[in-house]
Amino acid sequence: MSAFLGPLEADGRVPPRQQTRVAAFLVSAHGALARQFGLALPAKFDAAWQTELNAQFYRESEIVSLLMRATAWAPDLGLGPMAASWEMAWLPAPIEGIADHARAQAIHLATLAHAVHAGIRPAALLPTEAGANDPFVFALRRIEFESSRLLQAQILFLKGPDLVPFRDAVSAALERRHGEVRRLWREVLASIHVVVRE
Amino acid sequence: MPFLSHGSYRIRYELDGPAGAPAYVLVNGLTQYSELWGAYCDALITRGFRVATFDLLGQGVSDKPALFINQDDHIAVLHRLIGELGDGQIFLSGISFGGLIALRYAIEHGERLSGLVPMSCFAELTPQLLLIGNALRTGLILGGTGYLQDLLLPMNLSDQWLQPLLEKLDSVKRQGWLVNDVYALQNLMESFLDFKPLTPQLSSIAVPTMILNGEFDFLTPRALHETLRVEIPDSALVIIPRAYHAFTLEKAALTADLLARFAEDVMAGRWQGNKQVLIAPENPGGAFTPFPEGYDHLRAIPVSRTAT
Repeated sequence: MSAFLGPLEADGRVPPRQQTRVAAFLVSAHGALARQFGLALPAKFDAAWQTELNAQFYRESEIVSLLMRATAWAPDLGLGPMAASWEMAWLPAPIEGIADHARAQAIHLATLAHAVHAGIRPAALLPTEAGANDPFVFALRRIEFESSRLLQAQILFLKGPDLVPFRDAVSAALERRHGEVRRLWREVLASIHVVVRE
Repeated sequence: MPFLSHGSYRIRYELDGPAGAPAYVLVNGLTQYSELWGAYCDALITRGFRVATFDLLGQGVSDKPALFINQDDHIAVLHRLIGELGDGQIFLSGISFGGLIALRYAIEHGERLSGLVPMSCFAELTPQLLLIGNALRTGLILGGTGYLQDLLLPMNLSDQWLQPLLEKLDSVKRQGWLVNDVYALQNLMESFLDFKPLTPQLSSIAVPTMILNGEFDFLTPRALHETLRVEIPDSALVIIPRAYHAFTLEKAALTADLLARFAEDVMAGRWQGNKQVLIAPENPGGAFTPFPEGYDHLRAIPVSRTAT
């Protein structure tokens, strides 16, 4: 087990099987966020913050599109059951202490997005010798960089004044989400002989 | 790798050196991690000390709370770590953010300490420090940990240290980039949003205190250390020649020697703070020089001190 992807191929590329597992997980997570942001997006905005929903929707979609094209996909029969478990994990779960349905939905989406954007650092998996001009390598760096920007919307919302009365419930829900997302990420990486640094 | 528990969080720590020896506890600054104290562990253990290091909650291998980090948590963690060291003498030192945590610990649990060494430290957010802190936070948000490191490296280290590393800065930054997460650093920085100045409480610090300040530190300049010197009764301000904010990285051998000599002086009953202003030697083992009588140590040019 290593903390990094590899051993790299002769041209500095990450092996296709590792690319496939990592990209499949990221497509699943960011794809789920894109769908959920898309569903939350009203046809016409009546508040300034909704413009951020629009940005999040398109940037999540961009990440999916980027991975679809930048990954050297390899046949992987083990992906089916793993992908099913990921998709189940992205579904909303009840949030203890939040009775209002709309608020609970918003917190669910924000906590899931926070956990994905903050807890998953794909670029940190790259060894120093990874090929700088390889599209998959570049994509992982871009996704990690973009995630820390996207994360700011979740931080603003979850730390914002509207949720101050629910701070404990929100923090507990967020820590739980982080735990779930990290566990899935650890499992994916373990399946390709990478041990995540925590 | 041992861990302490703080609520549901785990704190990574290391204890090195002989059990029962007087101990130094070293507290990291922002973006740092315990391994950066390696040279201090070696030097202090050689001088007969035990050394405790740890990763702050939200940094390094310690757990990183997802949304909020309260500075009270760091004090509680430090108290638990010091509890692991038994009843022997404890000397506490911290750099920058870690110096602030050390100051707060000395205010709240001073009876447990034999000596205190705040380094590149502050007790209040002056307008400059507040605005620099805000700008660094914005840099972190917009550019990630790597950009924050890009800002901090030239701000806090000398040309002499940076010059040979210019061609390999990425490798210098890499470990710090790997072990630090944007959201966790942001939480640490945002723990200052409700920061209350410590200045009114500094006079309650009764332990011998050696305040270390780099000659060229412009992130936390001399005036911020002067507040500590004026308010802490048994203190001395020691200026490290040709040093910037991060002198613990750049001048590890000298700083470790100063830490050891301070503790040895305190234990031997030789320490007298007297709110002196001293200039540290350039090299380990050298002599301290009193700041020239009659000149203002808060100025960068030789100006006679005005009577107060």
